[in-house]
Amino acid sequence: MLNNRDLLRGSCLIGISLLFAVPALQYPIGTVARAGPGMFPLFVSFLLFLVGVATVIRSTLVARAPMTFSFRNVGLILGSLVGFVVLSQTVNMTFGIIFLVFLAAAAAPPYSVVRNAQTAAVLLAIAFAFQRLFGLELNLY
Amino acid sequence: MDTLHNLAFGFEHALTWQNLMFCAIGCTVGTLVGLLPGLGPLATISLLLPLTYALPLDGSLIMLAGIYYGAQYGDSVSAITMKMPHASSIVACIDGYAMTLKGQTGLALFTAGVSSFIGGTVALLVLAVLAPVLGDVALLFGPVEYASLVMLGFFCVSFVTTGNLLNGLAMCLIGVLLGQVGTDVNSGLARFTFGLHSLDDGVGLVSIALGCFGIAEIAKQLDSREHRSPFAGTIKLMPSWGEFKRIIPSALRGSVAGSVLGLMPGGGPVIAQFAAYAIDKKFSKYRDEIGHGAIEGVAGQAAADEAAARTSFIPLMSIGIPENPVMALMMAAFIIKGVQPGPNMIPEHPDLFWGLVASMWIGNCFLLFLNVPLVRYWLTVFRIPYRALFPAILFFCCIGTFSVNNNITDIYITAFFGVLGYTFMRLQLDPAPLMLGFILGPMLEENLRRALLLSHGDFSVFVTRPISGVFVGLVAVLVVWQVGKFAMQRRQRSVA
Repeated sequence: MLNNRDLLRGSCLIGISLLFAVPALQYPIGTVARAGPGMFPLFVSFLLFLVGVATVIRSTLVARAPMTFSFRNVGLILGSLVGFVVLSQTVNMTFGIIFLVFLAAAAAPPYSVVRNAQTAAVLLAIAFAFQRLFGLELNLY
Repeated sequence: MDTLHNLAFGFEHALTWQNLMFCAIGCTVGTLVGLLPGLGPLATISLLLPLTYALPLDGSLIMLAGIYYGAQYGDSVSAITMKMPHASSIVACIDGYAMTLKGQTGLALFTAGVSSFIGGTVALLVLAVLAPVLGDVALLFGPVEYASLVMLGFFCVSFVTTGNLLNGLAMCLIGVLLGQVGTDVNSGLARFTFGLHSLDDGVGLVSIALGCFGIAEIAKQLDSREHRSPFAGTIKLMPSWGEFKRIIPSALRGSVAGSVLGLMPGGGPVIAQFAAYAIDKKFSKYRDEIGHGAIEGVAGQAAADEAAARTSFIPLMSIGIPENPVMALMMAAFIIKGVQPGPNMIPEHPDLFWGLVASMWIGNCFLLFLNVPLVRYWLTVFRIPYRALFPAILFFCCIGTFSVNNNITDIYITAFFGVLGYTFMRLQLDPAPLMLGFILGPMLEENLRRALLLSHGDFSVFVTRPISGVFVGLVAVLVVWQVGKFAMQRRQRSVA
């Protein structure tokens, strides 16, 4: 499907509309005068569903265009953010910052340990300043 | 004459050495903190609020107001240079960042600075002339009027979106649906939380903005391995006369739109930016360039942002209603200092009210003189290689998210929106309409449901009530205009 961006876009829109429409059906719908919590999201998801269907139909009428998606870079960024949170919670934020810098930097070769160490040191200094000057509750140690 | 007398009284009060100093400190500190990607006015004010505890009443409020404007300008710098917006600079990411990619960062920052000054000045006049009476006008707006106004706002989506209209509509609808996440204000039911209690209060605007714009942009930049080097030794800061002439009308249009929308409870700077951008895209002589790095795309929204920030003080100070979270924080500061914002505030504390109004303009001057010469220093960020800069940006995104609720797990939500934003970018779906939908969606639902409840399900109230009727009429005109334009384009294409 990655070779047809328009089809993928339409499918995504339909998927998102269903993600909201299905739970919305479980909520009370109510009447126009006394709308329940499900009515508005159901209506909006229906509109999104229609736009998704129109996009899928349109994709069959235009030339195919491939979609690029760098799973590696997205994975590295996501991993560095998740690691930052996990380490900040389990050890402390200093480890979180070091982990974030060293893992995320792998997305932009050439990899340099010295540069990463410098970046991490600067960020630690900034975090320390945030904690001391502005009273931000960062568990740095 | 009364207005001039009041303004003179305010300036007399604000121009004391002590208050000037507080104003200057507020603007400088606010700008410096606001410059950090991810830290917008709300986070900056909450971080710096304790600094004002020990100050006298008028000095502390003047300093807080300075922090607010400074943070707003600082925020636009990170949006223009790195596409790292906060709520107050989402629209600056569109043309401002496009100008950066064209190597015109200096010009974009100068335009933002000057336009903010123009916006602030126009809003000051609006404040001085209308503040004492506008509280009553705001009370004329009920759920019907708000619902119609928000509907009008939605039609701005056709102007905000830079690509395909259908894609813009889709993103706007996704934004509306994201705005539904959280506890329903009418029934108390938790909607679309998927069992996660952290979503009971809804998805944070900051998480979406930093994820969809900031983190997604980093991933995109890393893919393309673009080497951005707008800092090429010489910086073009001052615009040519021709460029300057393009700033003025756009900034004035933005100032008027911002001044009006800033007054509306629930409105404020974010909606004002989108409206000003939409107006420019419709009425500017250079409308075809907007969306691709046009001066107007920066000037109008910056002026509107600043003007709305100023006039959003009116509902707070005249009827005691904070219209957005920043104003709620300002209200807290007023109350901490023993001043109850509301109808009695202007008669009871004229020195405070008019002093604050005058200090707003003085703050504007400070910002202009502080930021324009410093633009070249802001640009030094580009001297840092991107491979060293982007982990730092990721870190600031984490801090920005964390600072909103002091909850580190909110970063998961920001990361999720980062991946979603990157996917949208790859699918050629522009995130700007999503933000518009996210902000306006809950307002539309709340007011629509209330309006229909009060009218017993009768839709005719939207046309029969005069203010609402005007908004509905404008929506109809816009629809006809857009359909006509679409039909003409199709005809031209088929002839060609």
